[in-house]
Amino acid sequence: MMRELNDTYDVVVIGAGPGGCMASYASAKNGAKTLLIEKSQEIGEPVRCAEAIPSIEEFGIKPKPEFVRNIIKGGILFSPSGKKVIVTQDKAQGYVVERKIFDKYLAIRAAKAGSKVAVKTTAIGLEKDGDYWNVIVEFLGEEYCIKTKIVIAADGVESNIAEYAGLKAKKKPLEICSCAEYEMANVKLLDKNMMEFYFGNEISPGGYVWIFPKGDTANVGLGVRDRKKKAIDYLEDFIENGMAKDRLKEATPIEFKVGGAPVSGPIEKTYTDGVLVVGDAAGQISPLTGGGINLAMDCGLISGEVASKAIKVNNWSEKILKEYEDRWKEKHYEYLMNHLKYRKILEKMSDDELDALAEALGESLDGIDLKKFVKRIITKKPSLLKYFKDLL
Amino acid sequence: MVKINYKKCGYCGACVGVCEQLAINLIEHIIEIDIEKCNNCNMCVIVCPLNALEGE
Repeated sequence: MMRELNDTYDVVVIGAGPGGCMASYASAKNGAKTLLIEKSQEIGEPVRCAEAIPSIEEFGIKPKPEFVRNIIKGGILFSPSGKKVIVTQDKAQGYVVERKIFDKYLAIRAAKAGSKVAVKTTAIGLEKDGDYWNVIVEFLGEEYCIKTKIVIAADGVESNIAEYAGLKAKKKPLEICSCAEYEMANVKLLDKNMMEFYFGNEISPGGYVWIFPKGDTANVGLGVRDRKKKAIDYLEDFIENGMAKDRLKEATPIEFKVGGAPVSGPIEKTYTDGVLVVGDAAGQISPLTGGGINLAMDCGLISGEVASKAIKVNNWSEKILKEYEDRWKEKHYEYLMNHLKYRKILEKMSDDELDALAEALGESLDGIDLKKFVKRIITKKPSLLKYFKDLL
Repeated sequence: MVKINYKKCGYCGACVGVCEQLAINLIEHIIEIDIEKCNNCNMCVIVCPLNALEGE
């Protein structure tokens, strides 16, 4: 057997995505005996993501050429009729990364900080054992029981671990954005450093279409929340008949990706005795954009710090672990809840209203705060005010 | 019970995310549905991006 599975730990992190890797890094670096487990045999695979990330420098990670495929200077938003709005500020800037390489880099970084890593190891159960948790895992068809003080559930949209621990993490179908994506060669981009976003109830209800530059390729994908038609069917439609069809004529897929983005905001509670929940599993992902890599990384980092601190004071009860939720909420809760509000407004609007909104906003969103935004609506398209008046 | 078409499945895990019965697990690239736990609510069928699940 993998010798990592034949040991007891202070902290076991489940899921080696960006959130879990950062959690293991912080936990191990601060002296806790840490194991990171990943069910896939390759970390970073399968990719389920459009791979854009705002910033990694804040984590002390250099944007290395080994995983950065594209520098992003902003986004071009297209209304249903093709009206363009440009945004270049704040989180619109960043990188498109090769997630397979990036996630692996983060796992190696955690290992270098002292964390053990187990791959091809699936957590299938969780049992309370006095003050400890037994994590039941499967590796090459055999079951193992790993004893730990703290479990960090970073097990993604398909998280069952949080539920096993008694926390509510399940979603309704229309709270998850169903995504399909082709990474394609020969895409004619409008600008090699700008992401393209296409909105409309016909092309992607409850979500949007994206074309993200990725060096020699581009990620062409979409997310929908819809009962009638599948994400893959919307995607084939967009490539064949959508607004960018002329620029996609020569394009051909080199990779296929699917995913579910939990866009209903954070789960009710992200901690309990000896358990913390991180990343997609905790709903730490923008309900507006579906962007979640840096949120998962930051919340992961906080979870690892809090877990290792709890080990040091020899108390991992929920009273001590609550610090995790206090800290991540302090930094990110308002952002998440605002994005949830904006998403709920946008999804009420008809295609004509989305066009009117784009017209009212003008060519650029830069330098526009909420007050200026609503002022533009009042002066240019007062008929839309009903949607936005509650924001004031 | 919900039927899985493994040839269509993209192993994204969205179906697991909506299964309140905890009947679905994504074991590496393979979706497993526990027939004892599945109550045929068909939430997983709705969320699947690829039409890989078929309800009763």
